[in-house]
Amino acid sequence: MKTIKRYMRLYKVLIVQFFKVIMQSKVDFLMGLFGFFFTQITGILFLYLVFEQIPLLQGWSLEQLIFIYGFAQIPRSIDHLFTDNIWLVAWRLVINGDFDRYMLRPMNVFFQVIAEKLQPDALGELLVGSILVIHSCRKGIVVTDALHIGLFFVSIMAGALIYTSIKLFFASFAFWIKTSGPFLQVAYELADFAKYPTEMYAKGIQFLITWVIPFAFVAYLPASYFLGRGGFFGAGSSNVEVIGIECLIAGLFWCIAYSVFRKGISIYESAGN
Amino acid sequence: MIEVRHVSKEFVSPKKYPGLKGAIKGLFSTEKVVKKAVEDISFTIQDGEIVGYIGSNGAGKSTTIKMMTGIMRPTSGECIVNGINPSAQRKKNAQEIGVVFGQRTQLWWDLPLSESFTILKEIYNVSDKDYTERMKFLNQVLQLDDFFDRPVRTLSLGQRMRADLGAALLHNPRVLYLDEPTIGLDLVVKDNIRAAIKEINEKYQTTVILTTHDIGDIEELCSRIIIIDEGKKIYDGSLEELKDTYGTRRTVSMEIKSPKEIVELDLPGKLGVTEQTCKVAFDEERKVLSVSFDKHKVQVPQVLGAVMELTEVSDIQIQETQLAEIVKEIYNHGLNQADS
Repeated sequence: MKTIKRYMRLYKVLIVQFFKVIMQSKVDFLMGLFGFFFTQITGILFLYLVFEQIPLLQGWSLEQLIFIYGFAQIPRSIDHLFTDNIWLVAWRLVINGDFDRYMLRPMNVFFQVIAEKLQPDALGELLVGSILVIHSCRKGIVVTDALHIGLFFVSIMAGALIYTSIKLFFASFAFWIKTSGPFLQVAYELADFAKYPTEMYAKGIQFLITWVIPFAFVAYLPASYFLGRGGFFGAGSSNVEVIGIECLIAGLFWCIAYSVFRKGISIYESAGN
Repeated sequence: MIEVRHVSKEFVSPKKYPGLKGAIKGLFSTEKVVKKAVEDISFTIQDGEIVGYIGSNGAGKSTTIKMMTGIMRPTSGECIVNGINPSAQRKKNAQEIGVVFGQRTQLWWDLPLSESFTILKEIYNVSDKDYTERMKFLNQVLQLDDFFDRPVRTLSLGQRMRADLGAALLHNPRVLYLDEPTIGLDLVVKDNIRAAIKEINEKYQTTVILTTHDIGDIEELCSRIIIIDEGKKIYDGSLEELKDTYGTRRTVSMEIKSPKEIVELDLPGKLGVTEQTCKVAFDEERKVLSVSFDKHKVQVPQVLGAVMELTEVSDIQIQETQLAEIVKEIYNHGLNQADS
């Protein structure tokens, strides 16, 4: 308990410092925010254009697709907001030896990595995601009983943890191969597939994003549960199991990713001067 | 107390071949190259010692320091720093040590220096009372006040080094590791930094381990030096002993009146030693005759006597071998050949 308190205090101290730095360049901050809104709007526009041509996609209406799209943004943005610094481990910190400084301070290394930065751009994603989800709720296409609402938040947390784990897992490769940025990039971009119903894709990709790098469990599958659609475990199933599996995957992936990260630290070689 | 026991570090990398063909071949080859950066090094350092850890570039100094601080794990052997194994108990060890890397700052680059100290106070859990007391002392020896409110990126190299040193000492570490602390600094700043290190060592009995290429650092600070070369320890002892054992050459330079007679002088023959033991050189322009010889075999008066028999001498200079030359000699040949 004392440790948790200490780390919360440290997190506050470190993040406050981070904000002091970025406030020095307000323009960057606003541009980042603006950029993300722009990306989001083009994403929805794209969906809209597709649906002008095809009113129904594998049995999904535009409204439903917008909910999936919006829901997918939320766990992604939460992970993006808090753990964006993991990218630097993959691209830079290991190969140029800056990782040294984490090893020299009396704090957990993973904590130090993520406490160094918040990604304000993610607030744009979070906002768009929330607006779309609220919009869908108003349209009445989302099931809004207590169980679904409770599981909604559970699913978001588990989803964010899956994102973090996948990032950490691929970033940790850097300890063996020095830069793992390209691998992380490819893995992370697979997440874009999960913004749409996976049935649209070829069997191979469906399998990949459901069971290998399980982004489907972060977005599409839980979203279809909240839309009240069954069927993932055969006709008549309510899909509530999907949330359970999502949590299991989150726990499992986190354990794997964190052990790989720890193993990586143990073989960290630093860099010559 | 720091104990380093039979520590080795190997770096394994894939074998590289030259050229584009080689690069492609390298992709499919599984051959590995093992580089031994540090090989079976052992030493013990007592509390309060200042030890100079020296060696040429790539000799393995930084690698050893990185293993002692817990950044890297040894391939074999172990370090024990005040009873803590840095690889196994990294966080506990980190609380007890301070580290300064001359070429890399640990401060928050974009923030005023004062902010870095505030963060470090939290990270190392320094109480308000200790903080005030400590800052008073650090200000006195490092004059941090002069630039305490300026962003770190605007500091000069000398100021930054003082700041880094202060930051490494805020939590009163028992051991201070300095990796090239005076690199790139001007003479005055170097003196200040050295004086500060000395004062900290005296007041708090802080053990200091420093690597450097600056012989001045060693002469002014270190009571003991450890030299490594190609990953192996080749010398461990006091500075005086090193000078005494390996600085055996002495040079006498004489300005002489009539150079003609000197040409015929066979000094080694006359003194009954080999030409290796006694080397003679003559600068015709300045009319200076330099004789360099082994001080255990030849005495200064013998040399002077032999020369003055032939010609008049108007000026004499006697030089002992500089530490810098001894060290250079050691880097060039390794210690075994240095004394032959």
